[in-house]
Amino acid sequence: MRKILTLAAFGAALAAAPALAQEECGDLSLSNMNWQSAEVLAALDQFILNNGYGCNAEIVAGDTVPSITSLIERGRPEVVPEAWVNLLPDLVEQAKADGKIVYGANSLSDGGQQGWFIPKYIADAHPEILTIPELLKRPELFPDPEDASKGAIYNGQEGWGGTIVTSQMFKAYGAADLGWNLLDTGSAAGLDGAIARAYENQQPIVAFYWEPTALLGKYEMVRLQHGVPLDDAEWERCSSNADCPDPKPNDWKSDVVYTLIASGFAERAPQDVLDYLNKRSWSNDTVNRLIAWMTDNQATGEDGAREFLRTQPDQWEQWVTPEAAEKIKAAL
Amino acid sequence: MLDWMNRFPQMNEETLRNLKRLIDDSFREFTRGYGSAIEGFFDPLRQMLIYTERLMLGMPWPLVLLILGALAWLGSRSIRLTVASVLTLAAIGYFGMWEDTMRTIAMIFVCTVVAIAVGIPMGILMARSNRVQTVMNPVLDVMQTMPSFVYLIPVVMLLGIGRVAGMIAVVIYALPPIVRLTNLGVREVDREVIEAADAFGSSAWQKLWNVQLPLALPTIMAGVNQTIMMALAMVVIASMIGVQGLGQPVLRAISNQYFTLGVFNGFAIVGIAIIFDRISQAFGRRLQKHRGGMDV
Repeated sequence: MRKILTLAAFGAALAAAPALAQEECGDLSLSNMNWQSAEVLAALDQFILNNGYGCNAEIVAGDTVPSITSLIERGRPEVVPEAWVNLLPDLVEQAKADGKIVYGANSLSDGGQQGWFIPKYIADAHPEILTIPELLKRPELFPDPEDASKGAIYNGQEGWGGTIVTSQMFKAYGAADLGWNLLDTGSAAGLDGAIARAYENQQPIVAFYWEPTALLGKYEMVRLQHGVPLDDAEWERCSSNADCPDPKPNDWKSDVVYTLIASGFAERAPQDVLDYLNKRSWSNDTVNRLIAWMTDNQATGEDGAREFLRTQPDQWEQWVTPEAAEKIKAAL
Repeated sequence: MLDWMNRFPQMNEETLRNLKRLIDDSFREFTRGYGSAIEGFFDPLRQMLIYTERLMLGMPWPLVLLILGALAWLGSRSIRLTVASVLTLAAIGYFGMWEDTMRTIAMIFVCTVVAIAVGIPMGILMARSNRVQTVMNPVLDVMQTMPSFVYLIPVVMLLGIGRVAGMIAVVIYALPPIVRLTNLGVREVDREVIEAADAFGSSAWQKLWNVQLPLALPTIMAGVNQTIMMALAMVVIASMIGVQGLGQPVLRAISNQYFTLGVFNGFAIVGIAIIFDRISQAFGRRLQKHRGGMDV
């Protein structure tokens, strides 16, 4: 009887120990947007935080606009690993000034590259089309499949910051008057499908897209220049603001991609966890290669994260404490 | 020892991955080879969809309301229904959703007509032959439950985003009710009535047209109702592959969390669903006047 009691007490103590460790970091949610680089980064964070630091992180789906808005207004999801902050500059700056959020690391160290892309074979055949004004002079080269008299520019889905900027650029450069339609592709799948189809059939297409992505790794495309220098003030006032009625031509502000953390979580989380979130940052090269691997193997974000942890310890070991590194390696 | 019971013995990951890749690559070869032929096949439908939409958008709004009122009256001879339909559409227009509604009506009208035109003959074929029914049932099951995006991905790769892909999605989803209910209705016609028709020397076609279909009409009209409802339910999914209309604002509302926008457009979709349905039901009821007061 006594042996059983002792064993029970011992067992309870063992069970309590990890629970005690979890109490330090606690529950948190990570935002997973529906594009590959964000998906694999969220999965990576979840794996490292759960296995290395004993957190209880769960992944919550959501795009740029709803996730960042929710983070600022409600403090959940606590961490947005890949926030393209220049797409919501006012909102994010204000929230930082108000102390509602803190900036983590510069997660994509090279920054993201968004813009309007045309296939390389079109760029080669028409070397004069280098800028958006040049493009807009030739609507007959990129006919709208449902209305051949107009050109078509394929926009991204609702909820993406880049969709708002594309609509504003469309207005700013007067594309409608020059005989163009802005097509709403409805979803990431719709946009990808349209680009894939055009490229496979060697047809012309001009679409909004961004790097780092698997699609651009697979189909070589050229980004159009904007023909004007970047005006920061105009970007904040109008180019990235869906409600602004009079956008002017502007360059696409290069996107600094940060991890955003809710202040509430930043205050209660252990210092180790914050250090990790402040250090974790990878280059576009790394991401492109990882995403290409994921596409070839039809891997999920989780598989991609595991592959990265398995094959590139020299990179991620610099972001975590040695004890965490041990635990992570054991969990692989 | 009991470890194997905790994890289902699944196919080797490498094999599974290769299998998936093989199918993907074969499909890509297929699109490269037959893509343009298939596009050509759907071109007349695409033209019809574009034409109908231009027609609806180009009509001045008093004309649209007038035509709707006339259809409602001719179909139902009920003042209440006519006034309600016109008022609903006017309210939809007043809240700023006129253009989107016209686009959706054009699209759904064409899709419903196609679904009914294809579905009723299919249902009749199913009713005549048990073997056809056995083959068709699983096909209909797949059409109703397979998540739309699964077959939309290849469709978008073949035909591009836009109306034709949207029409395919809507028709596939809306077809099963009319097929099944036509089948059910025709099969449920009283055997003695069929015998009587045979006794009078009816040919198969006369039997179908003059006996079976009229008696199956209540069930077939129920099928039409369900088809219309399901077609309108697909409006938002269609907008996810670039189809314009009421689905797009709903999608925008979901993605950007604009609650009221979603509610308004959602109610507009419900509004036209009810209008379409009541008119077609009233028309169906008048077709069955011969039943003498039997109100279905």
